[in-house]
Amino acid sequence: MNFDFTEDQHEIRRTARELLAARSPFARVREHAEAGTYDDALSQELGELGWPGIAVAEEHGGQGLGLVELVILLEALGEACAAVPLRGSALAALFIEYAGSSDQQAQWLPGLASGALRGAVGEWSDGVAPLVPDAVGADVLVLLDPDGMASLVAAADASIEPVNAIDPTRRYGKVVVADEGGMDLLAADTSEALRCAEVAVAAGLVGASQRALDLTVAYVKDRKQFGVPIGSFQAVGHKAAQMLFDTEGARSATLFGAWAADADQDQLPLAAAIAKAAASAGGRATTAAAIQLHGGIGFTWEADLHWLYKRAQLDAAFLGGPGTHRARVAALSAERVAAAGTR
Amino acid sequence: MDLTFAPNEAQFRDELRGWLAANGPGPEPEGEDAQYAWRRDWQRKLHEGGWAGVHWPVEYGGRGATLVESAIFYEELARSGHPLPANVLGLLLGGPTLMVWGTDEQKERYLTPILSAEEIWCQGFSEPDAGSDFAAVKTRAVEQPDGSFRVTGQKVWTSGAQYSKWCMLVARTDSGAAKHKGLTYFLMDMGQPQVQVRPLVQITGESEFNELFLEDAVIPAENVVGGVGNGWKVALTTLMNERAGLAFGLQVRLRVMIDELTQIAAENGQLEDPRVADQLGELHLRCEILRLTAYRGLTATMKYGQPGPEGSLTKWMWSETNQMLTQFAADVVGPEALTMGTKWSYELLRARGNTIEGGTTEILKNIVAERVLGLPKAK
Repeated sequence: MNFDFTEDQHEIRRTARELLAARSPFARVREHAEAGTYDDALSQELGELGWPGIAVAEEHGGQGLGLVELVILLEALGEACAAVPLRGSALAALFIEYAGSSDQQAQWLPGLASGALRGAVGEWSDGVAPLVPDAVGADVLVLLDPDGMASLVAAADASIEPVNAIDPTRRYGKVVVADEGGMDLLAADTSEALRCAEVAVAAGLVGASQRALDLTVAYVKDRKQFGVPIGSFQAVGHKAAQMLFDTEGARSATLFGAWAADADQDQLPLAAAIAKAAASAGGRATTAAAIQLHGGIGFTWEADLHWLYKRAQLDAAFLGGPGTHRARVAALSAERVAAAGTR
Repeated sequence: MDLTFAPNEAQFRDELRGWLAANGPGPEPEGEDAQYAWRRDWQRKLHEGGWAGVHWPVEYGGRGATLVESAIFYEELARSGHPLPANVLGLLLGGPTLMVWGTDEQKERYLTPILSAEEIWCQGFSEPDAGSDFAAVKTRAVEQPDGSFRVTGQKVWTSGAQYSKWCMLVARTDSGAAKHKGLTYFLMDMGQPQVQVRPLVQITGESEFNELFLEDAVIPAENVVGGVGNGWKVALTTLMNERAGLAFGLQVRLRVMIDELTQIAAENGQLEDPRVADQLGELHLRCEILRLTAYRGLTATMKYGQPGPEGSLTKWMWSETNQMLTQFAADVVGPEALTMGTKWSYELLRARGNTIEGGTTEILKNIVAERVLGLPKAK
């Protein structure tokens, strides 16, 4: 029983956070969010470092590491709120690797892993995927239907219309495929890829929660009212403590989910549902609390908290919100209890 | 990361599981005194099997278990449905405090009877005017010409005092010194008429806790622990142990009850109700996060000597979840959960104390804010 990262994983985390602190401060995030662009220079650098392909097998041009390593990077990207489409590519690669044919893998994975191609994953029903993160500019899309089937479509065979989502740090699109003949069903079971994707999205939410907490702690130590730092008021301190509670709880669940994906897949379905439910609820709560504890300034465009809050809203809803995943937790737990009872 | 048990840990678990399956306390009797005697016999059995002081070093008669093995012990004990040993305060608090601060003579004299449950221990810290503000204790210990002490004052929330031989008592030996100074940690013999024990009836109707009235109670000089005037530091050792100990067993207990409730909801067809499913999902989620967070704390303790920020959260998580669970049981189980004498009504009422005992949630939040987040001291 050891919850610690390996030395290599610690090193990946350290390097990722240092790099993003230098390359993607809020000034950069703001610049791209306001212009409606991605930070292409940063994307290129991350591609050269192999980040999009960290969990892609070496035979497909990736680094061949696991979901734990991907989660470390996505948490760091969430913490920085970096304006890059890397998550879309990493998620698309997960589906293609787990469930694609060898032709599909050969066609898409090397490009996705190197950053030369971009991917996106979206939720699709009745022929429309209304709000797909990282869709604008993607080369390949993975569309999930409500029955758990996933299809691959090249961007050239789809219509991708930009959507002005409340989160301006990613480019969202509405995807319509007029001729479904251009769509390729991912033949193998996609459930495992979907579980991994849920954990991956949870990781970004944990990062956003951590950043919200750190900014808030710094602010309430500094901001004075009634002649004292507002962090000395228990009403403020307890709310900040709750932020830590929500952040660390979601982190425990996300790390467990990533570990299960890499080492014990029987535990993955429940672990992923718990991670996504906890990180979604936690991400919403902590980024909201950060605005509240900053007072009026927290509600302004000028403060950077709204980038985190808005992204948390979109990420929390993506691939199922807290309620959806709590229902899955209940169903899976009930199955387990029933199985134990009949033994 | 490796969130499985290592071969030696799995072997420890299997051996323990086998022992717990073959050995138990037998059926629980009626009545608080009989139940206490039953748990005391159970501890004797644990001791004979070598399972009483699992986390104690071998040189003091323990098993020298690692932190993970100790966690496994409490998990497996809870899973078996057997109760905690009677002398839980001696095992978790008194013994470990003596190992740090006690003299060789004290260790020699006191440790073995703690393990065997021959001598039960209780904790005399809190007072009517010194609860969360523990350093405000007023109970006075006055040194006599022969070096012994006479102690006068009142203690409260003393669990198991009526069954105890020894009390871990913190009293003021120097009223002129600053609040945290001037305190001394004693081992007080409960078997003297100058110590009166009065049970407090709690909202469950039972009496786990007591008031202690001390009037010129006698404590010999050799029963000072850690030196006169050093009581604050010694008491902190005790309190740190209190926070670290039981989370794993409590987590399993929670898991068992949530599973039971899930079973009841399934049988009643209530799982189809999305409101019920949502609550059960939240409870399962919280329980799992508690387990994982407790293990994260353990990993940090083994690697860095102390838990990380997550270590301060487990008692808070557990107590709120247990209250949520037992409250929700009233909805799922129905009238039986609101009728005295039933398991669920007892759990509902007993859980109300969880966010108070061993540090209120409000104090825990202060600790998180000040010591983990580094916020200025609260006003």
